[in-house]
Amino acid sequence: MLLMLSLPLFAPSSITGLVTEIFILALFAMSLGLIMGYAGLVSLGHAAFFGAGAYTVAILSQHVSNAYVLLASATLVAAGLAAVSGALFFRSAGAYFLMLTLAFAQVLSSAASQAPSSLTGGSDGLNVTVALNLGFGEINSQTGLYYTMGGAFLIGYVLLRLFVSSPAGMITRGIMDNELRMRALGYRTLDYKLFAYTLAGALAGFAGAMYTYFNLYVTPDFLGWIFSGEALIMVIVGGAGTLLGPALGAAFFTILQNYVSFYTDYWALVMGVVFVLFVLLGRGGIVHIFRSLWGMFFRTGPGGSAEPQNADDRTIPSARKGEMS
Amino acid sequence: MSALAVQVMTGLAYGMLLFMISIGLSIIFGLMGVLNLAHGAFFVVGAYVALSVLRGVHSFWVAALLSVLVMATVGLIMERTLLARFYGDELSQVLLTFGLAFIIADVIKMIWGARLQSLPTPSAFDFSFSFGSVVFPTYRLLVIVVGILLAMLLWYLERHTRMGAIIRAGVDDREMVSALGINVTLVFAAVFAFGAGLGALGGVLGAPILGMYPDMGFDILVLSLIVVVLGGLGTWKGALVGAVLVGMIDILGQAYFPSLARVLVFLLMAFVLLIRPAGLFGRRGAVS
Repeated sequence: MLLMLSLPLFAPSSITGLVTEIFILALFAMSLGLIMGYAGLVSLGHAAFFGAGAYTVAILSQHVSNAYVLLASATLVAAGLAAVSGALFFRSAGAYFLMLTLAFAQVLSSAASQAPSSLTGGSDGLNVTVALNLGFGEINSQTGLYYTMGGAFLIGYVLLRLFVSSPAGMITRGIMDNELRMRALGYRTLDYKLFAYTLAGALAGFAGAMYTYFNLYVTPDFLGWIFSGEALIMVIVGGAGTLLGPALGAAFFTILQNYVSFYTDYWALVMGVVFVLFVLLGRGGIVHIFRSLWGMFFRTGPGGSAEPQNADDRTIPSARKGEMS
Repeated sequence: MSALAVQVMTGLAYGMLLFMISIGLSIIFGLMGVLNLAHGAFFVVGAYVALSVLRGVHSFWVAALLSVLVMATVGLIMERTLLARFYGDELSQVLLTFGLAFIIADVIKMIWGARLQSLPTPSAFDFSFSFGSVVFPTYRLLVIVVGILLAMLLWYLERHTRMGAIIRAGVDDREMVSALGINVTLVFAAVFAFGAGLGALGGVLGAPILGMYPDMGFDILVLSLIVVVLGGLGTWKGALVGAVLVGMIDILGQAYFPSLARVLVFLLMAFVLLIRPAGLFGRRGAVS
């Protein structure tokens, strides 16, 4: 914790920049982790919301410079997209839903790519000149960005934590476990799923907006399914059933991406292999590994050797027979 | 007018190529519940394998045949070693194949390089013929013909062979089929290999028109998914109709409304799903 707080003060700027990027991507991954791990919705199109937020800031910043307005608009746009697409797509089950989210992201990506350059910069993307000004001066130093993004990450985490422990969050989890039962109990499951999905979309959009401030450049790749897939990898590798798992996954992914590409062009291969290994071994990601190690070294009390099978320890619960068809 | 005719023909040809790759995806998912996100790899790697074969053997058709056989075998191996253990755990299959797709894309880069390549049009068909004022590239016509022949073959297999009946039954009710004592493992393996081979055929036939590049598997997959969602899972008719629709709209869209092309395809899919949530010909429980 202390390390994170004081990092920019002693670390080389490349590391500070890396961790800043990780904060943002972690927020993105956590938002996907929310719908995957707590609402049971597997999406390959989550980047659509991230990219929408990013592009909103990029485009609007040419006319508006108030950071709060920009961030709010980006979040709202993303939330709106999530609400609409969720409402349309939830009628389709598992695999269809997955394919629809993928297609949705691709369409947005193509739209951004093929739209007039004056609007979105086309397939080359858009350079953005915007400085984050939250009311006390422009934040464009590395250190400033680091703390800002770290703050954004914390806000996002707290928000998610609040939702998950709220009654609405519990109900959403119940829906994931057994939607029919919840419906029989009288809950309007669609509303809860939609709320979680919109929340996740909003957070992703917020992350995307922040990313524009950090990266000062947007491209259609931020909207597409491959970036969505990378987020999926982060969630799975980090551990899908927890809030922080995806954040760890984001860290792992970004660090690997940066360091492996030093040594070889084929970092995707390495990432793919790691990912496949995680899937094959069927554990709850890095979080599970940490927990097991912790348990091995610090076993106290008569707990025995079995990890308590609470909700936080699972991989995606919908990985059960028949759930996706 | 003639330009329109050529566009329509190109759209049909493109649709046939999509048909070849989508049929595998559709039947495999309908029958086995496996959503193979690496399915595009059969298409792309098939084209690359043909490229390599062509360096030694100078016959397009031999290259095509070898490529189909190789990819069918690869598909078989993939199914037996990696996917079989996850039957029932469909999410893991999706994730696994997704990871594989990334790996394969990089492997292609390693072996064949990252730049755009293509296969030469087979010399027998490398000409255009004129029909009045319209000039058609013959090769595209060939692709359409192959697609039609394939559809006829599939129709025959489905209606008049035992395997076809088994597959139709399996798509409707997997457990029942195995309860009837049919060797489901063999059927699954055969279907998977067949789908892979067909995908490779599409890749090889498409290569003179579309070219090939390492990330092509992803792009083809997206279109295939749209085709499959549109047409319905587990049905070759759905794959055919969906593919032709998507192919035509994509090509005609690119010709006449370039900035809207992909959006049009998606709108079509969304529209169809709103009125028929299981796709045009789909029947399995796709509605929640």
